[in-house]
Amino acid sequence: MKHSNLRNGWVGGIVNIFLILLGLTGLAGTLLQGWLGLPSPAFGVWVSLLGVVVWSAARATKASGTQSWREALAGGALSGLLSGGIVGLLVGLLATLDAGSVEIRQWLVQLTPEAIALLTFGVAPWLATLLVAGVHALAGLLGSALYFAAITYQWQASVKGVLQDAGHSISQTQVYQRIAGHPSATTFAYAAGAILLLTAPLYLGRYWNYTLGTVGLYVILGLGLNIVVGMAGQLVLGYGAFFAIGAYTVALLTAPTPHGIMMNFWLVVPIGVILAALSGVVLGLPVLRMRGDYLAIVTLGFGEIIRILLKSDALIEFTGGPRGVRAVGGPSLFGIKMNNEFYFTYFIIIGIILAAYITAQLQKSRVGRAWMAIRGDEDVAEAMGIMTLKYKLLAFAIAAGLAGLSGVLFASRNKFTGPEDFTLLVSINVLSLVIIGGMGSIPGVIMGALILKGLPEILRELSDYRMLAFGALLVLMMILRPEGMWPSTRQKMELHGDEEKAETSEHTEPARGVA
Amino acid sequence: MTHILQAQSVTKQFGGLLAVNAVTLNVPTESIFSIIGPNGAGKTTFFNCVTGFYKPERGTLLFDDKPLIGRRPDQITGLGVARTYQNIRLFNEMTAIENILVGQHHRLHAGVLGALFQLPRTQREERQALEEAYTLLEFVGLSGKGDVFAKNLPYGDQRRLEIARALACKPKLLLLDEPTAGMNPAETDDMMTFIRQLRDELQITILLIEHDMRLVMGVSEHIVVLDYGMKIAEGTPAEIQSNTRVIEAYLGRGSVFAND
Repeated sequence: MKHSNLRNGWVGGIVNIFLILLGLTGLAGTLLQGWLGLPSPAFGVWVSLLGVVVWSAARATKASGTQSWREALAGGALSGLLSGGIVGLLVGLLATLDAGSVEIRQWLVQLTPEAIALLTFGVAPWLATLLVAGVHALAGLLGSALYFAAITYQWQASVKGVLQDAGHSISQTQVYQRIAGHPSATTFAYAAGAILLLTAPLYLGRYWNYTLGTVGLYVILGLGLNIVVGMAGQLVLGYGAFFAIGAYTVALLTAPTPHGIMMNFWLVVPIGVILAALSGVVLGLPVLRMRGDYLAIVTLGFGEIIRILLKSDALIEFTGGPRGVRAVGGPSLFGIKMNNEFYFTYFIIIGIILAAYITAQLQKSRVGRAWMAIRGDEDVAEAMGIMTLKYKLLAFAIAAGLAGLSGVLFASRNKFTGPEDFTLLVSINVLSLVIIGGMGSIPGVIMGALILKGLPEILRELSDYRMLAFGALLVLMMILRPEGMWPSTRQKMELHGDEEKAETSEHTEPARGVA
Repeated sequence: MTHILQAQSVTKQFGGLLAVNAVTLNVPTESIFSIIGPNGAGKTTFFNCVTGFYKPERGTLLFDDKPLIGRRPDQITGLGVARTYQNIRLFNEMTAIENILVGQHHRLHAGVLGALFQLPRTQREERQALEEAYTLLEFVGLSGKGDVFAKNLPYGDQRRLEIARALACKPKLLLLDEPTAGMNPAETDDMMTFIRQLRDELQITILLIEHDMRLVMGVSEHIVVLDYGMKIAEGTPAEIQSNTRVIEAYLGRGSVFAND
């Protein structure tokens, strides 16, 4: 019981620290102020920070399955206090450093003195730590009270549905419908996210459009790889090769050198996607007969071969060699040139929506079931009448096509591409973000991309330690949360099936023992 | 009498070991046919030859007069052969109903485009498939457990689900590999009734590997005995019980059938 409170408090605290370091207090505070019409940026910051705590306390209360008000509230306060303690210490530390005239921005670009002032309420560091912890504890109290009231007084189904969705609760008898269908709360969340996404580029400057665009390109890559690794269970390591094929297709077909073909960008998009998908099939045909580790090693080799070919002097006439291709063409529509970050953010968002739609639709179809069966037991899948090679190739081709799309947008946006854009690190990044975010989960992949590609961009000065941080993050994730940051319902149930069952049985008689 | 499965001197070799040695047998349509024999006699290997996982070195296998050797396992399933496994092999990370839906795979048609655009045809097909899956679940006595992950089902239910998944392939021939392994006598009796029901109600031919002699003698119409990959006897349960070679090679001292 205590355990779940501590765990959720800890998670809430970590999420808040991420939010602070990501620059929620600086840029996002101003943005939220603009969007929501708040009186001061501090408002937006604290509403989002404490929202996280309310949410995690509600989760903790649900997981603890407690039946008394006192326990629920104590648990909520405890989890809030823990989050607050962690965040408070960070805030106190930052404030002390800032006061001691240490240039924090040297490492953390987003943390301006104003941003820190927002967090400390403008008081002394030690008082700020206490204040932050106290405020968090109150938020935790609120979260647990809200959740407990909801289950105790049987609030209207809709409210309950939203709350339960937030807590990822699920009743055992509705699993299939949940997995196959779209419950209203989730649809609503997606819609809200979409509106936010669609208006964001208008508020953001060049730098942020570029950074978030990069994150978005990795989201497309992640969603693609997720089909092969997460759904069909085939471990592929050289996925960056298909990204490279997309990028070089647009580069070679639209740039003045080395070929001077200079085709229209819009024609090149489908060509890049189809070429990447075809190369997926060509590679997949011999390779997909292998399983597990062997497949990973062979695809790893393929990724490196593509990069080395692009770099080699032998093909310098064709690919431009190590110097890459300059002046890659961009899109234009009705005479408007659209080759800046702003337009590309929208193209990338369209790409993400497309990839997410493909993933979601296939997941719940006959094709998705075939993939899942192959992931589960390839021999039995074959005995059940599934032509395994065909379905593995299909997964490979779709994933490669999405990588191609991402590559086309990448090269065209940067107006340049070269072999060093496609090092092994690209493939490893994509695989890591799928695992860290949560295999098989669309929001998970987005979150993974934000953490793995967004964070290093913000903590640019620490980029030397990037690999170290990745490694540590992966190890930590595998120990603490093997299902990923934002797992799909299915993954969660696979790994925590027993806990879910216990929770469900408590849900059937929620009001018992309340007096 | 027509034969749904005809095996003509089928031989499967692993290195120097003759796992299945020139086995000839003919399974009459709509019969319950058992293969028995000591451990390592080649029974499961024979199943793997029929379902296409092993390619026999010699011999022919005809199903409905169509050759099986050279076809892939999924193609053989498409012809109407389904199987269960000695050690249950369900898709553990899928729910019971999804396991059955996978069994229906080769009878459904939705491809990538159908799924992406949610064509009316695809939606109709999915609805029918789901309905049929629930019917099958009820048929094997698992109603209400459709949304439970296969790995969370109790042992007996997993056996039943595996049969339901095989039935979802709409087989003409069902291969059951030790369906009562690990079951108590009462459960074994249920299984015996269930196997008869499969044949009588669904007109499915049953090819059975089993060690439980009570079940084999109670349910089979025809029995083949394998030992060291070779067929050593063939006949009705009564004939097998009195066959001295079988008693020597497999059943031992004959006390097993003392009460007959």
